Amino acid sequence: MTKNFGQFTAVRDVDLTVGAGEVVCLLGPSGCGKTTILRMIAGLETPSSGEVFFAGRNVTRLTPEQRNVAMVFQFYALYPSLTVEENLTFPLYAEKLSSAERRSRVADASEILQLSDILGRKPSEIAEGEKQRVAVARAIIRDPSCFLFDEPLSRLDVELRESMRAQIKEVLLGLSKPTVIVTHDQLEALTMADRITIMRDGIIEQIGTPHEVFAQPQNVFVASFIGTPQMNLLGVQLMNSNDAETEFLLDGEPLKISMGSKVSDSLFGDVTLGIRPRAFALQDAASPAAITIKSEIIEPMGAETLIHGRTRSDTEIRVVVPREHRIQSGECLHVIPDSGQVQLFNEQGNAVR
Amino acid sequence: MKWISRKDRAREVDRAGWGRTAGAAIASFIYFFPVLVIIITAFKKHTDALAVPAKLFPDFMGWLVPERLTFTPTLENFVSVFSRSFTTGGAAQDTGFDLFFFNSIFIAGSSVLLALAIGTLAAFGFSRYPLKGNDTYLFVILTTRMLPAIVVIIPVMLMFRITGLAGTYTGIILLYTAFNLPFTIWMMKSFFDELSPDVEDAARIDGSSDRGVFFKICMPQVVAGLAATAVFGLILTWNEFLFALLLTGVDTRTVPVAMSQTIGGDIGVRWGLLAAIETLFLIPVILVTFFLQNQLLRGVTFGTVKR
Amino acid sequence: MNTTTAAHSSAGKLLAFRWDNWRLALLATLIGVPLSAFVLPNFAAVVATCILGGLLVITSVVYSWTRHVGGLLVAPAIAVLVVMNIFPLLWSLGLSFYNYRADRQSLSFIGLRNYERLLSDPVVWERLTTTATLVVLTVAVQMVVGFLFALLFSKQFPLRRYLLILVLTPMMLSYVAVGAFFRYYYDPTFGLVSQVVNMFTDEPFVLISSTGGAIAAIVIADAWMWAPFVMLLVLAGLVSVPKHLYEAASIDRVPAWRRFWSITFPYVKGLLMLALLFRTIEAFKLFDVVFILTDGGQSTETIALYVYRQAIQFNKTSYSASLSYILLFTVIVLTNLYLYLANRRTKEG
Repeated sequence: MTKNFGQFTAVRDVDLTVGAGEVVCLLGPSGCGKTTILRMIAGLETPSSGEVFFAGRNVTRLTPEQRNVAMVFQFYALYPSLTVEENLTFPLYAEKLSSAERRSRVADASEILQLSDILGRKPSEIAEGEKQRVAVARAIIRDPSCFLFDEPLSRLDVELRESMRAQIKEVLLGLSKPTVIVTHDQLEALTMADRITIMRDGIIEQIGTPHEVFAQPQNVFVASFIGTPQMNLLGVQLMNSNDAETEFLLDGEPLKISMGSKVSDSLFGDVTLGIRPRAFALQDAASPAAITIKSEIIEPMGAETLIHGRTRSDTEIRVVVPREHRIQSGECLHVIPDSGQVQLFNEQGNAVR
Repeated sequence: MKWISRKDRAREVDRAGWGRTAGAAIASFIYFFPVLVIIITAFKKHTDALAVPAKLFPDFMGWLVPERLTFTPTLENFVSVFSRSFTTGGAAQDTGFDLFFFNSIFIAGSSVLLALAIGTLAAFGFSRYPLKGNDTYLFVILTTRMLPAIVVIIPVMLMFRITGLAGTYTGIILLYTAFNLPFTIWMMKSFFDELSPDVEDAARIDGSSDRGVFFKICMPQVVAGLAATAVFGLILTWNEFLFALLLTGVDTRTVPVAMSQTIGGDIGVRWGLLAAIETLFLIPVILVTFFLQNQLLRGVTFGTVKR
Repeated sequence: MNTTTAAHSSAGKLLAFRWDNWRLALLATLIGVPLSAFVLPNFAAVVATCILGGLLVITSVVYSWTRHVGGLLVAPAIAVLVVMNIFPLLWSLGLSFYNYRADRQSLSFIGLRNYERLLSDPVVWERLTTTATLVVLTVAVQMVVGFLFALLFSKQFPLRRYLLILVLTPMMLSYVAVGAFFRYYYDPTFGLVSQVVNMFTDEPFVLISSTGGAIAAIVIADAWMWAPFVMLLVLAGLVSVPKHLYEAASIDRVPAWRRFWSITFPYVKGLLMLALLFRTIEAFKLFDVVFILTDGGQSTETIALYVYRQAIQFNKTSYSASLSYILLFTVIVLTNLYLYLANRRTKEG
């Protein structure tokens, strides 16, 4: 499935392929065009240029009816005047099944999503989580060419979201159809997707497995978008580099990190260092390998503690330390970045290693 | 194209193109045709108005249609409405329509103002300080408006005859005030009901009195609603016929009554003049329909249906 | 005034002479005013009415002032409605038990005789049948035309706002103007309708000359005027259907007719019912258009027009009062039903 198109800024020159049985998440801040992509796949919106293919067939000019897709809407779009059962039966009429077959399909789907008890109720009479399950059931009851989910969990509370996430993942595993999920919640994307597509302002920033986008962000945006607490992005000058050690200047103070090998000379000058808050180790005394910060705000997060600190020249740094370290506000800390987990971005914000 | 929020997208009305415009234009035009003929007739001389076949086109459209279907537009009818007299074969005849227009405006205006003052207070009361049996009161109030006018008019006529109010401005204004009150109360209540009570609670906590809440917080928020109510009230009152027919005298006659009397006799009905009167009233009506399109639904259902 | 009776029973409370005992004042007004209207000479009756009415107002104000702000706010409105609507209605209820005629002085109590008479009067039944025919026809035409126009305007298209004005204008015109102009169009010689028919038949055409034609004439005029009302309500229902439901339906490959009945229609249903009831109530009162167009000729006299004739032309005041109570009762039932549906809809929304 290829699609690329341009013209207005909602989505620009996007090229994305989803394999059979693969789950791809479109992830990005609201307004980045991810829903527009989904709607173009569904046929609810026509691309201004570019084409959509389903299994090699060009469907760009086809209506949603002709494309045979199943979609879960953000607001569920359950038909308010119909009962849950009628809602589930609705998409089956087009498949020209016998009524016995329709009933058995409804029974199957409602069993998988535990809806058997509420089949007789109207959408206004059931809870938010149940509505969500009905919406999913209405999608999986069919035999479509692909599944589309538009922010399926955004309207649920935290607890429900977690259980639904697992449930949807389980359902998707059994379907082995190409699936696209739109979400702005990175946890959702990281847990459910085989591949994640990170978007900003209508442009794809990176496509990769959950591990790839977390461990090897291709640019500063992806680095800052994925992972909580947010990655520290430090503007530094690259001074000197050899195989053993690379020397940076952070706010005028030298910082030496072992980058494994020599960094290319062409990068000398302004670069960005990306270090996750969890990739720091505490040390007792100041050294050229450590950054010295003064802790300002302490946020206990249970097993760990998040510390917001500042260097002497006011650069903000977030550090996560195990709970055992009792840090006081105002205390001076010396933190050493784990050289294996340091990302380096060039002046344009793209990853260089 | 600007980015549309997801919620707007869910609410947005489906779009159709110019094809739909063409279809709707034809249908609307056919529907509007009777009104259009009224407007055209208003510009016709008496003989043109009675011509067979009907002359539907002003003469500047002569290049389009045969000449026998065209007429020469004249403002004669409009002049007659206000000039107190026009000539039919030389004899001066009093139309009196300037008086009737004044009566209609004066009577409708004062009764709407009165009803607005009394009704807004009542609507605020019904909305904010529900009485025991609040819904019953409101039901009775609406019912008085829904009643056939003839039911109310029989005793009112007796009452007016006894008190000497028949044929006076006071009488008809009082009656129209009562006629407008149910509408005003229901309309204004529907507007007050829509206001967020949080703002009023906040004002009370900040030490505002009940009167302060009403005048400083609530009223400014319903000004548009007040205007809409006033305009609908004016139209309803202006159009009212039966009360005016039975309770106005020669000096206090309103336009609809005068119009109905103009067509009383079968011969010599001044169709052009009638058309001119109606055309004059058409202008405010069309303006209202345009500017109050969003309030129209509420207006014609007395505030019982908001959207 | 009299506070010695420390009455705790409700009857005692009702009879206590206190400045805030509005119930007693109301009772006195209800009994006293109709009574004085007949027993006392005219001038004295007016004075008595004023005194009793004044007492009612004073007691209500005192009562409200001490207890409810709300009561005080609604008091003026209630007062106006009582004086101009409720009281006349009660008066005419009283009248309906007499044989009063506005042109004579004689007056005697005849109980339910008026009601007996009108229920057995074939003319009344005939008028009711005429009214019912007109109501059914005009409301049916309005619903169909209104619904079709609503469908036409249910999508957003260029110039929609302006074209809507053309359709909505008839509703805002006065009955008299509409009646007058349809009379102009129906005129046997120069009327447009007659001219158009003439082109085909070559014979003079008078629409209003037959019963069917007269009814058609009234129905066309009234339905033309009020179909926009139905359109407005149905349109409100049509545009309130969330767009994502239609999107879901197209994803689910639902055929058009099923889409209309299962998704669109439930949103319109409530408003359609409201429109139906509202138009029925209004059509039931059909007076002005008939008055202008046929004046009841060709068996088109509606019940409202019949009451008008009886009361105004034949001065049968008491008889028409009892007749008008039949109308009143019908309208109350219909209005009640209407409000019940309207409230339910508001709550659901």
